[in-house]
Amino acid sequence: MDFSGITDRLRAIGAPGLLGVDEPRKADPKDKKDKGRAGQAFVLVDPQSLPAFLETCRDDERLGFELLIDLTATDPAKDSAELWVNVELLSVRHRQRLSIKALIPKADARLPSAVPVYRAAQWHERECAEMFGITFEGHPDPRHILLPDDWPGFPLRKDYEFPKEYHGISCE
Amino acid sequence: MPSLEHSFEENVLTTKVDWLINWARLSSIWPMTFGLACCAIEMMAVGAAHHDIDRFGAGAFRASPRQADLMIVAGTVNFQMAERVKRLYDQMPSPKYVIAMGACATGGGPYFKFGYTVVKGVDRVVPVDVYIAGCPPRPEALLEGLMKLQEKIRRSSVIRRPARTA
Amino acid sequence: MTLDSTRTGAIPDDARILNDGQREFMLDVRTQDLEVNFGPQHPATHGVMRVLMRTDGELVTGAQPHLGYLHRCAEKIGENVEWLQYLPYTDRYDYLAAMNNNLGYSAAVEALLGIPVPRRAEMLRVICAELNRVGSHLIAFGTYGLDIGAFTPFFYAFREREWMMALFEKICGARLTYSYIRIGGVFNDAPPGWLEEVARFCEVFGEKWQEYYDLLVLNQIFVKRTSNIGVISREMAFDFGLTGPMLRGSGVDWDLRRDLPYSIYGEIWREGAFQIPVARGEMGTLGDCWDRTWVRVMEMIESIKIVRWCLERIEEGPVLGDIPKTLRVPPGEAYVGIENPRGELGHYVVSDGGKVAVRVRVRGPSFTNLAVLEDVLPGSLVGDAIAIIGSTDIVVGETDR
Repeated sequence: MDFSGITDRLRAIGAPGLLGVDEPRKADPKDKKDKGRAGQAFVLVDPQSLPAFLETCRDDERLGFELLIDLTATDPAKDSAELWVNVELLSVRHRQRLSIKALIPKADARLPSAVPVYRAAQWHERECAEMFGITFEGHPDPRHILLPDDWPGFPLRKDYEFPKEYHGISCE
Repeated sequence: MPSLEHSFEENVLTTKVDWLINWARLSSIWPMTFGLACCAIEMMAVGAAHHDIDRFGAGAFRASPRQADLMIVAGTVNFQMAERVKRLYDQMPSPKYVIAMGACATGGGPYFKFGYTVVKGVDRVVPVDVYIAGCPPRPEALLEGLMKLQEKIRRSSVIRRPARTA
Repeated sequence: MTLDSTRTGAIPDDARILNDGQREFMLDVRTQDLEVNFGPQHPATHGVMRVLMRTDGELVTGAQPHLGYLHRCAEKIGENVEWLQYLPYTDRYDYLAAMNNNLGYSAAVEALLGIPVPRRAEMLRVICAELNRVGSHLIAFGTYGLDIGAFTPFFYAFREREWMMALFEKICGARLTYSYIRIGGVFNDAPPGWLEEVARFCEVFGEKWQEYYDLLVLNQIFVKRTSNIGVISREMAFDFGLTGPMLRGSGVDWDLRRDLPYSIYGEIWREGAFQIPVARGEMGTLGDCWDRTWVRVMEMIESIKIVRWCLERIEEGPVLGDIPKTLRVPPGEAYVGIENPRGELGHYVVSDGGKVAVRVRVRGPSFTNLAVLEDVLPGSLVGDAIAIIGSTDIVVGETDR
């Protein structure tokens, strides 16, 4: 199925938390500031019902997304009030992909963990948590994964300041 | 010692203690198997048949630091690893030598500016004897670095002062 | 475990008699819990990975991989350097398959740019990516032999790999970190005589490949050492999001080159130039360590077939599109996944129309493939742990990025 087929199916089965789609568009020739949006299409999902949405995607016969390929986040800008959580699904049965995006507020970055649905989410969520400061509620093992346990700050946020020294070793 | 020379049969060789000990040391430098990143693959290539580090007596890669003379820091060292590098260095018996292989181990390399977890040069953690440039250095460069280290050992003396790191 | 009856004395009553007359049973080797630290400096960790194992006698009862000993901030760097400047960093996360990484990143940026790639450049891309796949699997197979005690395959593998690296050096000047596949094409055209030498390499490699196959893969010692251990079932592979040879080793027929083709792989597949080796559990349970090794070794010869297909059809032409020195990428976001030697390498790039990316996310296949150790190691013997870790074929540069 192509993207519109997948969204039609999602609407038909009433997938929980489905908010809409974010599709690429051409630039408006009348508006000079508008550059359009290139790339691929996303499904926008309510972050609080993300695990339920993923479960629907996995268990529905016609969607059949067996693999969670990627779960990550994006900090779009320094002054942005939101963080994006991006999920990439893949179906081996039907040879299709689905990209999911959920917007969460930067000030209170928390959403339920997707580990009960896909075990693959476990390490991706740990990485997201340490890099962006997102809390995944109900995560079975919320430790740091790539950074040392006592690392300060969230490196992939746009307002991150590089450390001057760590455990007596200068960084400059 | 001209008076001693030729006063024995041919099976006796007279030499300086320094020369003999240095010769023994530099001809059997045992490196530690210690690959960190990309450079480790080139280090493996040096150990394989084509480049053959065994020609220089340094082919016996030891898995334990306690049996090794040389630590080839082959790759990027980050803060988490730096503590382990220091500990491994401390576990090696003297005399011990360190080669910083590649740009990352020498000075942070391409990760210098934005690599927040990268140690900008392994010499901030352990003393380094030879630096090798390259990202990653060619196997020939590593062999040259080894020869430089051998030269350095050849010039050292056990009598006047102990080895640098002892 | 399988043991000869004469060596062990008492054999439990429930011992099963195998086809070759040996009896299979489980020895009770439990004593008391002991935590064993494995790595980060260990010759069999393929870098600086660390696994904390809880053992009970010879039995592993728990395993916890610890990462981060090679975290090099690749994603943060992507947000700070220009689009073209980031290319050399892609070489360095999976340093065994730098060509494939270049291809993955270039494909993701090209998806935003929407520019066509010249035909000759596509051909050269596929030739280099497939040669690099061969080189990567050579290391996987050589060091896997080394891990479990066979020294010779390592030297055999490096013999061909040196030739392959000399080929890469001729085309781009580097042995390991190529940055050859650029956004919009490839860096330069193949030097005179290069394609002929690649053809010669393919010819020789076909013969050498048979040597590897007979020497290691069908070797009885190797088969007994690796079959029936580290079994990853189909369901487990899906649950953990495994890709690449790990997924095909569990009997799932999936390869991005065929199923969601990128570059010119769709055309190559339609012409029937290559097949996808999928494990069938020939030497034991489906999804064991032997199956994964078998998939990798078989993939090498398939890659050589793809290279041959390209060599027959490559034509003269431009190799690099019109790409400005300071690239501005139109605003948007795209995820592009390609088939790396280790699995799906995904790049998720976000642009706001500027010279620098907003986000470059790298989905490294080793990262997810490694997570499965938490479930596979418990229940195995300590001696088998090395064989299981080796069969995942991880590159730490990619797990930590």
